[in-house]
Amino acid sequence: MSTVACPECEAEVTLDAGTEVGEIIVCSDCGVDLEVTSVDPAAVQLAPMEQEDWGE
Amino acid sequence: MSDTLIGLVSQYSPSGQERGAVDWLVARMKSLGYDDAFVDNAGNAVGVMGQGPKQVILLGHIDTVPGEISVEFVGATGPSPVLYGRGSVDAKGPLACFADAVAQVGAKGGWQFVVIGAIEEERDSDGARFVATQYKPDFAIIGEPNQWDRVALGYKGSAWANVTVKRGQVHSASGKQTACEAVVELWQAVKSFTDSYNADKPRAFDQILPTLRGMESGMDENEQWATLKIGARLPVECPPQDWYAKLNELAGDAKVQAGGYAIPAWACEKNTPLVRAFLNGIRSQGGEPRFVYKTGTADLNIVAPVWQCPAVVYGPGDSAMDHTPNEHIDLNDYRKAVDVLSAALSKLTA
Repeated sequence: MSTVACPECEAEVTLDAGTEVGEIIVCSDCGVDLEVTSVDPAAVQLAPMEQEDWGE
Repeated sequence: MSDTLIGLVSQYSPSGQERGAVDWLVARMKSLGYDDAFVDNAGNAVGVMGQGPKQVILLGHIDTVPGEISVEFVGATGPSPVLYGRGSVDAKGPLACFADAVAQVGAKGGWQFVVIGAIEEERDSDGARFVATQYKPDFAIIGEPNQWDRVALGYKGSAWANVTVKRGQVHSASGKQTACEAVVELWQAVKSFTDSYNADKPRAFDQILPTLRGMESGMDENEQWATLKIGARLPVECPPQDWYAKLNELAGDAKVQAGGYAIPAWACEKNTPLVRAFLNGIRSQGGEPRFVYKTGTADLNIVAPVWQCPAVVYGPGDSAMDHTPNEHIDLNDYRKAVDVLSAALSKLTA
């Protein structure tokens, strides 16, 4: 288990044991989605932007 | 790398006339080294790579809307080649991308890739309805144009209905409500309900989006009637049966008749090995991945509720080109999408 600072609000975010690179986690302080980019050392970035489109 | 795309787009195949394109794709997949390729009992093109017990289905559609567009290269020798043709975006671009990427990856131990070009997606999805009953994959990738650096995670549902009000004949000076006035009032009630439902939902994906598709009215000596044709794009939280129940509630004594196939919305789980593989694949090609939610429907809505496995929708092309007379695809984006998908499949099956 390791911790990392949320890039949005700087709150401490905990990565549980077994967390995988690419996993999307939620900052419990500000609620933003974060993508785990590394587990050793722990690193996160804002998760991919969500967009909406018309059509198929 | 674009030969599959060019060949497939050159086979004009509006819904109901897919056989030439299906035969062409089956032959193409055989020539690309697939272990097997055949036409299934629904008329879909199927290519199989690998023999493993774990399975990835790559489901595209091979039919297009009608309206042939001359297949033509623009800027073929320049830095930004573009291919015009019906289906180049929706959705032969994604389907050809699937066929090329699986050929590029080849067989992987313990895994089987199945590429399917389904028929009839632009009508009632007969091809996908058949496929849904034939497989139980570990992962599903559905082919629709979403640009090479985006992964689509949700498609709205849809439901259609005719709502008819009947009234006895009255003198126009009687002051009594006519059937036409009653359906106008009903439509306003539908809009009022959906406006209220949508008020706290900023995303169109979460909203109910009703459309008035047509109005008809008539009368004889005893009776007058008026009918509204109402379509609705539905969120995950409002499955078709709930929408029809609400319409019936709003309709009062009007008759609600459901039309066509009602399709529930579907949202894919974000935290899956499949999504992670795509994020990695897009970054491997220099992209910054994005997620997208669509207001249309796709074969995802048909197969995902049955298969209940991790799924995404992926494919090159700009869906703003869907069904337009100038449908075209950027070949650089197509090639990047093939490499993204190849990288994603390699990571997923490593």
